[in-house]
Formats: sequence, C-alpha cells, structure tokens
Amino acid sequence: MATKQKGEGADAASALMRAAQLLGRARFPVIGGLLTDSDGAAAALALARKLRGVIDHAAGEELARGSRIMRERGGCPASFGETRNRADVIVMVGSGPLKRDPGLVKDLFPEAKGLPRPGDHARELILLGDGPVEAPSHVKLTEVGQGAHDLPTLIARLAAAIAERRIGDEAPDDTLARVAMRLRTAAFAVFVYSAADLDEPALFTLLDMVRHLSITTRAATLALAAPGNGDGVNLCATWTCGLPVRTSFAGSVPEHDARRFAASRLIESGEADALLWIDALAEEGIRRPTGVPTIVLTSSGGAAEEGADILIEVACAGRDHDAALYLPAISGIGMVNATHPNKDKPTVAAVLNGISDLIDKREAA
Amino acid sequence: MLIRLKGGRVVDPVNDRDGVGDVFMANGRIVAGPSNGREADEAYDVTGKVVMAGGVDIHSHIAGSNVTLGRALMPELPALAAQGGAAIDPSPDAWGAYATGIRYAEMGYTTVIEPALIPTHAIEAQIELASIPIIDVGALVILGNDDFSLGLLRDGGREAELKDYVGWTLGHAKAIGLKVINAGGSEAFKFNARTFGLDDVVPDYGVTSRTIVKALQRAVSELGVPHPVHVHCNNLGIAGNVETAVATMEATEGLPIHLAHIQFYGYGAEGEQGLSSGAPRLAEAINAHRNVSVDIGQVMFGQTITISGDILRQFDGRRGAHPKKWAIDQGDGNGTGVVPYEYRAGNFANAVQWSVGLEIVLLAEDLWRVLFSTDHPNGALFVRYPEIVHLLMDRDERARMIERLPEPARHVSNLASIGRELSLSEIAIITRGAPARLLGLTDRGHLGPGAVADVAVYTEQKNKTAMFASAHLVFKDGTLVVRDGEVVNVTWGKAYHVAPGVDAQIERRLKAFYDRYYGVDPSIFGVPAQIAGRPDRFATVPCLN
Repeated sequence: MATKQKGEGADAASALMRAAQLLGRARFPVIGGLLTDSDGAAAALALARKLRGVIDHAAGEELARGSRIMRERGGCPASFGETRNRADVIVMVGSGPLKRDPGLVKDLFPEAKGLPRPGDHARELILLGDGPVEAPSHVKLTEVGQGAHDLPTLIARLAAAIAERRIGDEAPDDTLARVAMRLRTAAFAVFVYSAADLDEPALFTLLDMVRHLSITTRAATLALAAPGNGDGVNLCATWTCGLPVRTSFAGSVPEHDARRFAASRLIESGEADALLWIDALAEEGIRRPTGVPTIVLTSSGGAAEEGADILIEVACAGRDHDAALYLPAISGIGMVNATHPNKDKPTVAAVLNGISDLIDKREAA
Repeated sequence: MLIRLKGGRVVDPVNDRDGVGDVFMANGRIVAGPSNGREADEAYDVTGKVVMAGGVDIHSHIAGSNVTLGRALMPELPALAAQGGAAIDPSPDAWGAYATGIRYAEMGYTTVIEPALIPTHAIEAQIELASIPIIDVGALVILGNDDFSLGLLRDGGREAELKDYVGWTLGHAKAIGLKVINAGGSEAFKFNARTFGLDDVVPDYGVTSRTIVKALQRAVSELGVPHPVHVHCNNLGIAGNVETAVATMEATEGLPIHLAHIQFYGYGAEGEQGLSSGAPRLAEAINAHRNVSVDIGQVMFGQTITISGDILRQFDGRRGAHPKKWAIDQGDGNGTGVVPYEYRAGNFANAVQWSVGLEIVLLAEDLWRVLFSTDHPNGALFVRYPEIVHLLMDRDERARMIERLPEPARHVSNLASIGRELSLSEIAIITRGAPARLLGLTDRGHLGPGAVADVAVYTEQKNKTAMFASAHLVFKDGTLVVRDGEVVNVTWGKAYHVAPGVDAQIERRLKAFYDRYYGVDPSIFGVPAQIAGRPDRFATVPCLN
C-alpha cells in the first residue's frame, strides 16, 4: 500500500493510524467522493455512522434531484433493455445524454429486430432541444429545436401540447403539435434524460407528462446513470439507512438534506472539520473540495495528492479487483471482473474497515 | 460447548412434542440430552417459558431493487407506521437492511425468504441480503414474464430447454426457488393490457397464463427443487377472484404448487357492494387439493407500502396510493410497482380483507399447508406478526377488532362465527415447521437432534402480542443473540440456494439471447460464490433428483 503524509512517504500502518486519529478527533467529518463499488460504499456508510458524519457522492447534486422527485411524487422509469427493445418512440431530452454517452443512440436503436413490442410504428428518435445528434441511417429522426426557449421551457411547452392545453395565449406550433400527436399515439414512449442537465421543476414536468400519456398508452423515463457509480452508491445508502447520499448521521436518526449535507458546502463553509475523500474508479474531471484536513483514498496515484494531509493508494474497482457496480445496460448493479487483477493494493472497503477498527481500539483504550 | 435450556414448555410439533422438558445445544446444533450425566457448560432456567424453533418466514420482501425502490419512494414509512401504533422505530433506518435482521431476531425469527428476486438484479438483492444480520435467508427468483421463457413456450416442444433455463436461472441468481408473478400479465401490460386472467393470451407469444404456470411448475418439479413453484396468481385484489385461485389449483393436476398471499385471492362478489369473503370457498379448495400449499398474506390496519412484480395490478392500484405518490418501474421481465397504502378498519373493503385472511387460517384442516405471512410489507409490516398470532389464538381479541369494522363488512364475513383458537403447537406449525419443510430446509423449524440450534424462548402470557413481540432468549446456530427482547450479539447468517444440474448448452443459447437483445453477457448479473466480502456466505440445499 503506497501512502503519504503531507507529501512525505509513510508506512501503511502509520498512515492508517493517522487517518483514524484525524477522523476520530473530528467533530463533524464528511465522507465524500465515494467513487467506489458497493463494498466500499457499505464500509463508508458504516464509518460515517460511527463518526456521526455525513456521506455524499461526487455526483451528489444530480443524485439528490432524482431522489427528491422519487420521494415527492414517485417515478415511471423503464429499464435500458425495455427501452431498447420495446420503445417505438424515444425522446432524447436535450443533447446532454448524448454528450455523456456518445454511443447511446446506437445502443438504443440496434439494427437487428428486438423483442416483440406493442404497436406497428417504425421506431423513431425525437431530439427535444438543440443538437447535435447523429443517428444511424436506419433510425427515423425528428428534431425539435429550442428556438428562443431554454430546454425546461421547451419541455413545459411539449407537456402542454400533449395535454392539449394552450401555452399562454399561443397554440402550439406545428412541429410541437405533430410531436405531441406522435407521442399520444405511441405504443411506448420513453424520455431519455440526464438529471445533471435539468432542474427539479423540469424533472417534475417530465414526470407529469409521462403520467399523462400513461392514462391511455404506455410511457416512461430513462435517466442516464450518474458518473462514478453514483447510482450504485445511492442504492447502497438507501438499502442501508433508508436514505440517499447527502445524509448526516450526526443526530439520533439519519437525516437527509440535499442542500445542507452537500459535501462541497460543508467543506467550503467550514461547517465540517475533516474530509475523507474516496476516488477509486479512475474517473477524470472530478473536483475535490478543499479547506479542511483531508484524507484521500485514491487509485490515481500522486495526481490526487495536492492538498491531501494523508494519501492512501487503493485498488481501482473493476480494474484491480472484481467489483459490484451500477451497470446502465441492466439498469442495476452487476459484477465487473478485474481487467488487471492486482492484489498488492487494498480495496477501499479494506482500508475503511481498518480505519474503523483502529478508531474502536482508540476508543476502547 | 453444551448448552441446556432447562424446564421450559417445549413446543415442537415436527417431533410431536408439547410439554415441559429440556433442550440441549452443542456446536451450533440441537443435540440429545447427555446420557452420561455430563453437566452443561451453560444452562438457562426457562421455567414458565415457551421454547420453540426459530421462526421461518416463507414470504417477506426484505431486499432487492424492488424493495429499495420502495425505500427511495417512502423513507417516512416507519414514521407513519409508528404513528399508527406499529412497533417500529420512527426512523428511515428502521426498514433498512440492518434493522430488518435485528427486529426479526428480536421476535424470534431466524430464517427469512425474500420472494421476488429479479434475475438481472440478483447481485443487488444478494448484497442487500448479506447486509442483514443474524438471520439466514433465501430468495425466490422470478420467471414467467421474461421473453426467453415465453419464446420457448410459443415454439412448443421445448420443455427440456425450459427446464434447463429454469435450472440455470436458479443457479445464476443463487435462489432457493422459483417465483411466478401474474404469469404473462406483466408481458401483456407491455402491450397496454390492463387486466389479465388465467386463460387470457399473451400478445405475440400466443400462450396463456395457465400454460406458463403449468410449464414452470413441471420444470421445477422435474429439476427436483424442494420448494414447489411459488405462484402469485392473476387477478389479485379483485372482487370475485376466488374463482381464479380455485381454477389455478384445479389446473395443477396434482403437481406441487405454492400459492402466495392467498388472502388477496379470497374475495367473493356477493353483497350490496359486490365484495364478500370468499374464504369458505377458498378454504374448501385448499383442503381438497393436497398438492397445494399457501401462505396467508394477512392484512393489518395501518400504513404500509405495496411492492410487487405484478406491475399490471400495481398500475391499477396507483389510484389508491396513500400518500399520493407511486412508482411503476417498467423493468426487464416483470418490472415492479410500488404503491404506498393505508389499510383502514373503517374501510369496507379493507375490513373484508382483514377478515378473509384470518378466516382462511381458521378454516384450514391441514395447517401444514397454510403458512403464516403478511406478504411483508404488502399486507402489513412484519413487525405486526405478534398481533396476528394474538388474533389467531384469541377469539376475544378478534371480537374486539370485529366491533371496529363497518357493519356491512361484518355481514359479508364469517369471522365472527368462527370460535377456533390456534394452539401454540399450531402456531409453531405455521411459523416454523411447515415453512421449513416446504422450503426443503429440513434442518430447521424443529428442535430434533441434528437441527440447527436456532431456538426462540418466549415468556408465556395471555397477551400473545406481548409474548411474541420480544423473545426472552434467541439462539442462532447455538449463539445467544437476543436476551429480553434485545440483540446482545450480532452474528451473520447464510444464504441458502439450490444448484440444479442443467445441460450446459443452455448457457450458450442465453449468451446469444442476451447479446442480441440486451447487448450484455449474462455473466454480469450472475451471483459470484463470494459476495459482500463473505467467502462462506452461501450454502446449498440439495435437489431431490
């Protein structure tokens, strides 16, 4: 296990001990990043509970939006497999999903005939909002540009057109009216979106639109998975303590609050006094908040060193060791076998459980 | 180490035992009393207590992506249930995995079966189950609305392949049995059907629910899986559906079948409101069909949430959601519907439902085939079990409850006229002996030598709710885990599953199927031998063939 303390090399036992001391002394620590597998998430949740701290994920903002919609109103999700095989109309809500997953259209519209599906319409892709979108030649594509509107407004206008309501003083324009009619007559329409692109009101509107269609036909949503196994970690939090990430264990019962318990806010405001940051999926472009004493568990080597008081190198889930991760293709948690098995580095779960044991020993002493 | 439970009333119907005596445990197993006069290393005086095997729950939704969808929808469930008087902490934590194991253990349960494991989400379900402390578990994997099964049935003459597919699915998911939920109904929902009966035809595939159930029943039977196919029938919750349940029993032609949460199929269509108790008709059919076993799915008044792979039924049920929110997950195979629900004593239909479940048990001639459940959380949260035991054992308690029901509901129910009170031995049958036997877990559910040392000791008292809510002592595999209703030692149990032998060709065909239609290799949802860092997590239940 490669470890460092304030830029100096350190032996593993010493680094773990210092991490346990730092966290054990903390009044209100945050466990953030959480770029890890199910075992790592479970260990992080157990440690957060012991420390009376907070858990959050690097994609906590979009996860919290999805969680809030589910908690307030519910949802009508479809699996990726059902969308790929049975949706006759797929509405891409903005180009955000395509930026996140450039192969998405190809995966949702395979050339080979899918499973039996309702209706006899040819399958069709509708892009709601401005492109670009590239569709294979066998896919019928309709584009509904935003014009002068932003994306949430366009969603609201389509919802109104589907419900045959007027939009202010205006009747829907021809394109929107045609798309609304197409959706009303679809056998199974699925709206694909990324919660990172849409605010909560837009997400509520999207759900209402799907539910309106469901009165007479079938409709659903397909949210793109959050990066960094965000959905897997969020599920783990939910089955463990009944609440999603951005949950605090400081009180007598766990408490979730998407604003108060955002890791970045807690760190940058100084409300939290220690950060344990987990970055074990070799993902790029994830920003770590700074400003409090920090322990970093990383599979990215020295790149994560800046600003870390203690750095512990860990195995990368799915590369160095087999890992249970959220897999979009099955819309659930599956197994990813190690691409380059390496038992020299400890897993996140092993390190967190080690820190937890040391804290227990300190308390018992 | 030899442990002796001394002087309790030992209630063990599997071994025809109901009397004061001792129970001995050593090395995690029940053992005969020492013949050489050896003193026990640990002895517990349980005079005035009742000693039973640990409880075995055959049908309780405690884990998996469907249950966690419910948790995401309704973190306030424990708080609302507690407000209504349920014995549960008012914290979202209280229906998390950890609290589930703790509470089951406090009530003296030591084995619980999760009855709706989605094949492609088996890994999540097994990880969740591994997060539940103390109890042993098993899971029933769902087929019957999946395109591979339906394709084989459409083509006809492919029974051997279907058998291999069922066996492969059981092994891949590490399940203990097969569940079928509204066979064909969820597939029909994908074609926008809103009702689906036993002889309705699945669009495109041209097969009926009856055909699917019979084919899967035969496959399970031929594989030698100890637990018969576990069926959630069509037309759940609809007035007059007792005829569907009876027709399903008649269709079985003598092969073993288990019908889940049968209360929800116990409705006649008599009376001014077109809903009445069909319990006498149902009980008569259960009594007559000795190849049929059922669990009750008892309803209790209060807040709960319904979680079901019967997506067609749940879509319809969304209109009754309380609070007004719901989730319909149109997933692979069955999908899942999650709808919060409050059963109210003053509601005519709910009052009939409450009566029907109790009637079915009390009218049963053979309690070895009529098992205890609430279909947790669908009929009631499992923390309500002690209240139900009380109702079954005490007709005065039932009379007190019946007084709260609307007059019209009393007119269409027979409960008030039934004087039967179950004995402790009969309670042990429906909560221990029968479910263990039906699952093929012959090493539990009783206190005979060789059984696992899962033992619950209760303080005998008239108030059976109090008696069964918190055990005096509970041993899991011979380790004391509960004392005076509180967990004193957190242990971790095993997950039981079957591993039928199948023709390896099926794997090649499934690989091609998943590659074409889903773009994945099925190995990504196969449950590995080690999960959640627990190398000794799984144990195999032998098949009978």
